[in-house]
Amino acid sequence: MKHLKQLFWISDNNGQHAPQTARMFNKKISRPAALFNLLLVAALWVALFWISLRTIQIRLDFTFLGEFRIRIWNGFLATLGLSLFSLIFSLLIGILSAAGQSSSVLFIRFFCSVYVKFIRGTPLIMQIYLFFYIVGTAWGVSNRFTAGVLILSIFEGAYIAEIIRGSLLSLEESQLEAARAVGFSRRQTWRFVILPQMITRTLPALTGQFASIIKDSSLLSIIAVIELTQTMREISAVNFRLFECYLFLGILYLCLTLPVSLISERLERRFQYEN
Amino acid sequence: MKKRIYFLITLLSVLLLSGCGGAADTEDSAGQADTASAGEEPFKESSSDTKQTLTVAMELAYPPFEMRDEAGEAAGISADLMKAFGEYAGYDIQIENTAWDGLIPSLQTGAADIVISSMTITEERQNLIDFSDPYANALLAILAGADSGIRSVEDLNQAGKVLAVKSGSTGHMYAEKNLPEAELLVLPDESACVTEVAQGRADGFIYDQLTIYRNWQNNLDTTTAIFIPFQDVEKWGIAVQKGNQKLLDELNAFLADFQANGGYEELTEKYLAEEKKAFDELGFQWFFDMKK
Amino acid sequence: MKIKFQNLSKQYEPGHVILNPMDFEDEVHTLAVIGPSGGGKSTLLRIIGGLIAPTTGKLWVDSDEIRQNEASLQQYRKTIGFVFQQGGLFRHMSALDNIAVPLEQVHGYSRTESRSRALELLERFGLKEDARKKPAALSGGQQQRVAIARAVAARPKLLLLDEPTSALDPEYTTEVLNVIRELKEEGMRFIIVTHEMGFARHACDKAAFLCEGSLLEYGESAQLFAHPETEQLQRFLGKLLEWNV
Repeated sequence: MKHLKQLFWISDNNGQHAPQTARMFNKKISRPAALFNLLLVAALWVALFWISLRTIQIRLDFTFLGEFRIRIWNGFLATLGLSLFSLIFSLLIGILSAAGQSSSVLFIRFFCSVYVKFIRGTPLIMQIYLFFYIVGTAWGVSNRFTAGVLILSIFEGAYIAEIIRGSLLSLEESQLEAARAVGFSRRQTWRFVILPQMITRTLPALTGQFASIIKDSSLLSIIAVIELTQTMREISAVNFRLFECYLFLGILYLCLTLPVSLISERLERRFQYEN
Repeated sequence: MKKRIYFLITLLSVLLLSGCGGAADTEDSAGQADTASAGEEPFKESSSDTKQTLTVAMELAYPPFEMRDEAGEAAGISADLMKAFGEYAGYDIQIENTAWDGLIPSLQTGAADIVISSMTITEERQNLIDFSDPYANALLAILAGADSGIRSVEDLNQAGKVLAVKSGSTGHMYAEKNLPEAELLVLPDESACVTEVAQGRADGFIYDQLTIYRNWQNNLDTTTAIFIPFQDVEKWGIAVQKGNQKLLDELNAFLADFQANGGYEELTEKYLAEEKKAFDELGFQWFFDMKK
Repeated sequence: MKIKFQNLSKQYEPGHVILNPMDFEDEVHTLAVIGPSGGGKSTLLRIIGGLIAPTTGKLWVDSDEIRQNEASLQQYRKTIGFVFQQGGLFRHMSALDNIAVPLEQVHGYSRTESRSRALELLERFGLKEDARKKPAALSGGQQQRVAIARAVAARPKLLLLDEPTSALDPEYTTEVLNVIRELKEEGMRFIIVTHEMGFARHACDKAAFLCEGSLLEYGESAQLFAHPETEQLQRFLGKLLEWNV
């Protein structure tokens, strides 16, 4: 009977050495209980969905997608490639921008600060049109994939800059004072104290940002960058099957973002115990 | 005890999978609404004093057929046509702005009763929805870049030529079927397509004559227009949910009446006077000339 | 070792004076700095430790002037061990690394040398099993013992402690004070800012009383505690006696 109860209910903390709020979210759940409840949730959603479809009298047929599997696979790979390249470049831009905001050269300081405010303050759709059709054309950027990576990197870079800046600000003064007391030079302080602590702080947020990159890349379809969303749009336009195409699209994106969010959770938990 | 739990889980999974299978039926008429219950009162019930409301969906991005006035209200030829229909048949017309890709789905789900959005009657579309008698005709034309060297539609059908099309339009369908060599740029906005041509990123843009004419006038230095017809005239129809015969009959009756009473001449005068002149000069068949 | 300062003062914005101009010159073995909160004790300790620059005045340690530029200050800090009240350990490093990494990077010990010295100290302070633990996994008393180990690892000529036991539960205070007394017996020179009057009186040979940014009294601790001269010190000591066990 007790085992049955464990399927549905989790009692308080099992000896975790973590702050109370962390304990609320990170309770240890047994494998069978986790599986069982995941299935229950899935069942609920499938049921809701099925009822909705029935009510508006729509029947879904996914079989036509098989014909397009090569294009869909290529689109999937393109989205993955777009996201990975953008991750790398946006990290670079973000680090430079965060550093720039603390520069002694006023021009650099203002340049970076304006960049962050402008990019974070305007929607991506506007930036895509602006950068591609105006800046891109003026500077002769013809390859759409390249343009997509650049635009997305510039966009995400501003958000990463803020993540980095925030985590720098959150470093405790006492740690930096201790570094000086111990005799570390500025470079040594960065290498042995600031960077290691910053990595633990920013890594969870950065993986979250990677999931955002993956999803935001779908907007590049408006300039016909051949990635997953654009591929699906083209297929659905010719086949008149909006629902099946976009539902399948969602599943494919989940295949990319779910692993990322799982990794993010695991990292969060690991660094929870370190602090 | 653990074994029992795993058994429960397996049972649930099997039920779940069969449930999913049920949701994705594989009839060959899939994607359609159930014929039996459609056509019965798809709109709200109301008392005999007040009029019934009909929801009309259109994409308000296609002047002067579907657009907004200064106050932001739906306006244009299609809007006026629908208001006239409302008066004729005794309905209260509600116009909903809907993205092009969402027009047919809105009929399928019953979110809209009527779709009028300068939509061409095609076989594929007729599999999903029903069309009224045609009310206008149109031909496709090409907006070519000034330096692209495109003189006819065959010029586009070469490797290395980039062709912009609006996603889901008949231009898109035509290109897919007939221009396999061209590299297609499928975009959601017409204005983006025009920009691509004007900036030299695309060699051509296939769309209806009127839009091509207007955009050519707006971009005289960077574009040329090619009006040599390369297909049969397309006919535009008003669409309803499949099986809604009652509404279809009312629409067809209205269209005949409207034609007879010179309604189209009034619309042309109000919205398209200049274009009618240009079309006459170029020798094109006019939109509302349904003789052919 | 001899410590001397002349006209030493510290203020932040005008009006916010922490230390009034003060002079001092004497041999330092074990010196306790006592006084009411906000009197400037921590600031003075940090100036002596080269962590804060004074607004005016000069500082000499063993006749060498401590110049207030980053390069010379960094060299100077290598010769001083500093123990903070709390949060001084690097929270992302184990106890062992907290001690070994500075030895390796700042004082040029080899990897093996630094590790063995660190282990030696940890064992000596009763922390052998906790070598691999991060500070968050240690008790307050254990953390401070590691902090002290780190501060003395490179055999500094002076050890500075800023209220090392003030943030600890009473049960841990004793173990930390014991460690400091052991070090004293080995000849370590230190200046300690503390509220532990018993320790100040009996374990430190000299004491200085800082009140509202001024050095009001200085002398042998036995003398200072038994016969406070200034009214402020009398009041300060009198208040403390109220709750003494």
